[in-house]
Amino acid sequence: MYTFRPILVKLVPKVKLSTLGWVGVGMVMFVVFLAIFAPLLTPYDPTRTVGPGFQPPCWEHPLGTNKIGQDMWSRIVYGARTILIVVLLSTAISMLMGVPLGLISGYVGGLLDRILSMIMDAIYAFPSLILAIAMAAALGPGIINTAIAIAIVYVPTYFRMVRGQTLSIKEQLYVEAARAIGANHMTILARYIFPNVISIITVVFTLSVADVVLTEAALSFFGLSVPAPTPDWGFDLKAGHPYLLSGYWWLITFPGLMIMILAVGFTFIGESVAGYFQAREVRA
Amino acid sequence: MHKDIRWCDAEVTSLKVFVIARLLLVIPTILLLVSLVFFIMRVMPGDPVIAIVGMKAPPERVLELRKALGLIDESGNAIPLPIQYLNYLANLFRGDFGRSLIWGKRPVLVEIMEHLPATIELAIAGFLVSIILGVALGTLGGWKGGKTNSAVKIYSAITYALFIPWIGMMFQLLFAVWLKVLPVGGRIDPGLEPPMITGLYLLDSILTGRWDSFVSALRHIILPSLTLGLVISGVFSRVARTSVEEVMRQDFVIAARARGIPEHRLVIHVLRNAFIPIMTMMGLQLALLMTGAILTETTFSWPGMGTFLFERIEYRDYTTVQGTVVFFAIIISLINLVVDILYAYIDPRIRY
Amino acid sequence: MEEILKIRNLKAYYFTREGVIRAVDNVSLSISRGELLGLVGESGSGKSSLGLSIVRLIPPPGRIVDGEIIFRKTNLLKLPEKELRNIRGKHIGMIFQDPLTSLDPLRKIGDQLVETIMVHTRVNKEEAKEIALRALERVGIALDRFDDYPHQLSGGMRQRVMIAMATMLNPDLLIADEPTTALDVIVQSRIMDLLSDLKRSMKMAILLITHDLALVIERSDRVAVMYAGELCEVGSSERVSQEPLHPYTQLLLESIPDVEKPRTKLVYIPGSPPDMMNPPAGCRFWPRCPRAMNVCKSIPPRSLELDGRIVRCHLYNGGLESGV
Repeated sequence: MYTFRPILVKLVPKVKLSTLGWVGVGMVMFVVFLAIFAPLLTPYDPTRTVGPGFQPPCWEHPLGTNKIGQDMWSRIVYGARTILIVVLLSTAISMLMGVPLGLISGYVGGLLDRILSMIMDAIYAFPSLILAIAMAAALGPGIINTAIAIAIVYVPTYFRMVRGQTLSIKEQLYVEAARAIGANHMTILARYIFPNVISIITVVFTLSVADVVLTEAALSFFGLSVPAPTPDWGFDLKAGHPYLLSGYWWLITFPGLMIMILAVGFTFIGESVAGYFQAREVRA
Repeated sequence: MHKDIRWCDAEVTSLKVFVIARLLLVIPTILLLVSLVFFIMRVMPGDPVIAIVGMKAPPERVLELRKALGLIDESGNAIPLPIQYLNYLANLFRGDFGRSLIWGKRPVLVEIMEHLPATIELAIAGFLVSIILGVALGTLGGWKGGKTNSAVKIYSAITYALFIPWIGMMFQLLFAVWLKVLPVGGRIDPGLEPPMITGLYLLDSILTGRWDSFVSALRHIILPSLTLGLVISGVFSRVARTSVEEVMRQDFVIAARARGIPEHRLVIHVLRNAFIPIMTMMGLQLALLMTGAILTETTFSWPGMGTFLFERIEYRDYTTVQGTVVFFAIIISLINLVVDILYAYIDPRIRY
Repeated sequence: MEEILKIRNLKAYYFTREGVIRAVDNVSLSISRGELLGLVGESGSGKSSLGLSIVRLIPPPGRIVDGEIIFRKTNLLKLPEKELRNIRGKHIGMIFQDPLTSLDPLRKIGDQLVETIMVHTRVNKEEAKEIALRALERVGIALDRFDDYPHQLSGGMRQRVMIAMATMLNPDLLIADEPTTALDVIVQSRIMDLLSDLKRSMKMAILLITHDLALVIERSDRVAVMYAGELCEVGSSERVSQEPLHPYTQLLLESIPDVEKPRTKLVYIPGSPPDMMNPPAGCRFWPRCPRAMNVCKSIPPRSLELDGRIVRCHLYNGGLESGV
């Protein structure tokens, strides 16, 4: 039921996380910490040559240096910023497109709903990476372009969930009551349906963000994400790959490890949230 | 006798009806996907031609490219967008997926066909590994419950989130660089390719008795299929686990035990019931399998569709990229169709 | 009459994360050959758990903690799993409340019958099919239904199939857990008729677990009333219905709507079932008992044998201890 609780409170549903969930939160927070405090944590500029190339981890460069002598540690720390910005940006765009479309489609129904659903299903069925590659290739490099490319892939996810919720809420008695007292459609959508949809948006987010991280990493691995000097984990991974045979393990181990920490962290959170809702259903 | 006729009638007919309905559904789906790709490639901002040749290109080259992209016709007039769309569809209908912009106008379809077997072989190998690992572990977790279940849950979470290139590289580091027991990449040692029958090296080498080819191909496929299989097994283990868990909670398991049915028979029945969501997942995982294959190929220099696509993106060969993406879209729709039909065959409740 | 099942001091608890549920707390009961014993109780009284415990099928986190279950001179609780499986389905049959979910939805009912037969006997497939067909016939199912799937049959028919499966190997005991609750009254009556028939022709004992006291009084030889994991009263149906001893039994009988005696108000038992993790001290029924005394609130009553019946209530302390 709609109550006058502040919307922000609704954004964070009261979910009890399992131990695993908290481990995930820790992992994600670690990356966020790196991103926020990047300048304080790194002695070097990640985009400049600051030492001899191909240095294994040592005192001056705890994670070594890459081919052009950039400090890996600094690149890793600043890379956190890159990936988090892209992920947050693309999620925001996905939500901004998916949620209103889901609301309208679910509420209005009819032909509009059918057409939108078909389009969304088609996008949804398409392998996320291939679609993202196609879009990123067409749009070109850059943070915003990459964010848009990824965002489009996940719009159907938000769309479907929001539409589903809208459909079920639409039929509830209190919406009928609101209509009876003469509320117009906009009011109904905004004051009755939308607030009840917010909590599910958060859930969708937790479940899909790990995917977004991996898609971004893959795009940057293909060089389709941010342009060259910007520190980017996927890019570094690809750059270091050819030197595998020479045994320069630090070039690839750390960037990849960071991607893993972020992705696995989000996955743990997502699993914990999903498990919580499952348990609630079973008990009910 | 009477009984047999009834079986023929009801069971097979309902399946037929389902298949026909499903087939009809595939056409608009493919149409939609194909149009989606067109929309992406055409309506995106930026001039692809400039992207290919740069700002200072000679005008003849620009014109040539524009023609190749289908933007202008023979006399140099711009083709309006709707006509471009119709041309595009008409071409696809004829099996023309476009021509490469760089490799002397080779048809994209031909190039795809050359690289496809490698990807198919890798996909099958990876799929098998993932099923064996995933379903076995998932079933174990769902059946036993408790700590085993939790362990499998963690396994699912971690493997699902693995970044394929990274885990592939770690394997390469371990097995190829440090231990030196397996090759670091490629599909087979040069010169040992078996005679071409199916294009799948493992199969072809067995069929032609070329054991040296077989061993080489096997050694090369171990790491990539393990990488791909590991990552996808996460999904299967999760689905298998939850599915088995749910089936185990159903009454018929207790009822069967109450009849004295031994555990080993019960596993089969439980799996059959649990299999439906697993099967659906398998179909859905096709998408994951493809994207995973692409990433695996680029990591292991496996000469399949993934490396192909990656290469062409780097060279800005737009028509090839477009044609390949469309090809993927169509293949995936068709395979989903097959999966849906199989699904209906196994679960009689769907048909009736 | 030969006693085929004797339950002694059975304790079965559920060990959940929130606490321990004492579903079956020190229950003793016996059933003789060919007898229909009705076990009556509200939901949560532990009656289903008791039924499942007999064949050791209580689901985790449940566990049998103590007691003996003696079936034809063997303690089932001490049997190795393999031998227990031999008994299940062949010597002790069990039918459940919802036949739709109790049957494998993906297999034809005929196949499920045949499988059960072949697990327990040394016959080949053709012979097993014969036995299955005869079993279907006995419960009144048309033979051309052999190849049907469970969802193609009606609720009543599915239950008959379950009965066929549970009885086709001539068990000595049939445990029927709410067999008719999911069915309408007419079908219920027919199913009960079927069970009575089988009981007569096969000399099979039946443990009928239900919440419906009226049904039990009408159909069973003996009644056992269960509340909050304990037995309140056990006796022949006739005597218990005419002269109920335990206040709970009395209230249950009063609350049965009687068509012949129209009442102005519907009688019900006040209060609600107790929290099974923290049941009331003393007699578990005292908060709802119209005749509760001070002693009931602190001291649990003992089971006493009184005139061929068993009752557990402080009102009757004049009888002999029932040797429990």
